[in-house]
Amino acid sequence: MPRPPRAGRPTFGQTLSAALAETQLRLINITRYPGQMIMEVVIPIVFAAMPMFLGRAAGGDQAAVNFEANTGTANYVAYMLIGSSVFTIVSGAFWHVAYWIRFEQETGTLEAVYLSPTSTFTLASGVALYSVIRGLVTALIAYGLGCLIFQVNPLTGDLWLALLFILSGLVPLYGMALIFGAVVLRVKESSAIVNLMQWVVSFLMGMYFPVATLPPFLRAIAFLFPPTWMTNGVRSALLGVGYFFDAWYLDLSVLWVFMLFAPLFGFWVFNRVERSVQRNEGIGQF
Amino acid sequence: MSGHVLVDQLAKTYVTRQRRGLFKSETKEVPALRGVSLEIKTGELFGLLGPNGAGKTTLIKCLTTLLLPTSGRAVINGFELTKDDNAIRATTGCMLMGERGLYWKLTARENLVFFGALYHLSPRDRRKRAEDLIEQLDLGEIADRALESYSSGQRMKVAFAKALINDAPLLILDEPTNTLDVPSARELRAVVRQLNDQGKTVIYTTHIMSEAETLCDRVAIVDHGQVLAIGTVPELKASLKREAVLRIEGVISSRASQAVAALGGVTRTAVQAVNGHTELTVMSANATILLPRLIETLTEHQAVIQKIAPEEVTLEDVFIARTGRTLAEDTRAVPQS
Repeated sequence: MPRPPRAGRPTFGQTLSAALAETQLRLINITRYPGQMIMEVVIPIVFAAMPMFLGRAAGGDQAAVNFEANTGTANYVAYMLIGSSVFTIVSGAFWHVAYWIRFEQETGTLEAVYLSPTSTFTLASGVALYSVIRGLVTALIAYGLGCLIFQVNPLTGDLWLALLFILSGLVPLYGMALIFGAVVLRVKESSAIVNLMQWVVSFLMGMYFPVATLPPFLRAIAFLFPPTWMTNGVRSALLGVGYFFDAWYLDLSVLWVFMLFAPLFGFWVFNRVERSVQRNEGIGQF
Repeated sequence: MSGHVLVDQLAKTYVTRQRRGLFKSETKEVPALRGVSLEIKTGELFGLLGPNGAGKTTLIKCLTTLLLPTSGRAVINGFELTKDDNAIRATTGCMLMGERGLYWKLTARENLVFFGALYHLSPRDRRKRAEDLIEQLDLGEIADRALESYSSGQRMKVAFAKALINDAPLLILDEPTNTLDVPSARELRAVVRQLNDQGKTVIYTTHIMSEAETLCDRVAIVDHGQVLAIGTVPELKASLKREAVLRIEGVISSRASQAVAALGGVTRTAVQAVNGHTELTVMSANATILLPRLIETLTEHQAVIQKIAPEEVTLEDVFIARTGRTLAEDTRAVPQS
């Protein structure tokens, strides 16, 4: 017979094991939709191709020169591919967290997991880890494949620094995603909210353009989004477009500051909404 | 104390929005529980009996920490509700949403192992526990198929197995035999009885009279968010001992039923449709004196009497006496043990 649980006070190992079980569950689940995984790799390439061809049509032979004058790199193909690949990670974070809550509300499994002594923090960490794995794998394959299709070298610049920017941006990103999760828990709708928000964020993070081109007010808002710093950090590390503070470690430290408070703020908001929902209609009500 | 439940004046009021046209709405308070108090002793098999909307599920959701009560307190397995919620969850096994609380793309084994992890069992223990439950509930042949290919009854069995994964001292089962066929329902009730014999406390909600009557040590009748009666089945029946129950079958119009209800000496009546005819249940302090007047009244109102018989008091009669309603429409569809 199994050992009885210690009345709702799990050890670190048990907590980690529960979070990994949540990750594993979602990875198993996604392997049963193989078509979706293929589509996810194609989407960032299509997203990057559209502005690329528009740029060629508008700029003609001078496209690369004009682009370099405004962005700091002539490699607009990699620039667009990086933007769309980072966007895949960002968009995935919102979708996976929001979809986790909404889908489980609808299927009844959200109540089932809330009946267990595993905390929301642990469950959300498991979902976030799954989302990171799925998002990173998709983005890296899409970037590599896109570079192959459009014949640019993906291995330019400082790859490790680029990866460090991505990894540093993930923690605050999931803090933000949890706030959206809280909204979904409250309003019981995910598609419209995430659809709207992912495009607002893609715009503010400079998916296709440098945020320096934004009007001052929008630029100020853009700097409050961790994905803006992630995207520019990766582009600067790989393509040399220039850091916001002129030094990589300064830009990276901004992400680390986000890392300190964004997840805490996300969980604070989520817990408040969760408590409020429990006070009235209940977690599983849809 | 493991398996012990104490509920004291627990109340829950929902705030709902009443729609008034396209853009207007107003909030309305709907009391779902009105000061419920009860005690369930360790090792008891306790039934919560009531129709849909009576407040059973709200009570269960409060006890399982899914809903915060508006007022009152409860102590479950020795832990205070709203203060030690995690400890309550760790020491309670629940089956609330039936087949809905499972991942249909996963197999039964994957589901059980996953929930084992959420209850903090070690990887080895959760696999072992899943294997044991699969064997105990005879799920071996289908355990490695995705749940989406299961019948509804098979998924209910997996949901029941999920409730047992943490081997908790308290089991809360919300209408667990719903959608099960007759043999499966009987089998599940046998397992519930067996678990209770092993010392587990079981809270079993049902709207099936016969199930509560045959399975439960004690029963609480719940309606309109209140506990109307509580006791063992013989105690509840004895509470009606001074009332005789007459059951009349035939073609009985509503006017005829109303006329019977208005007769002196009739304490309560209930009407239900059974297999194309009407069944009128009449309770009276003295059936012998009432009977001739009852037949006369029915005949006067063109009723066709096919059968008339005094009957022993059943739990259903207790329910009718307490609520003025019958649950027979639901009960009829239920597999009997």
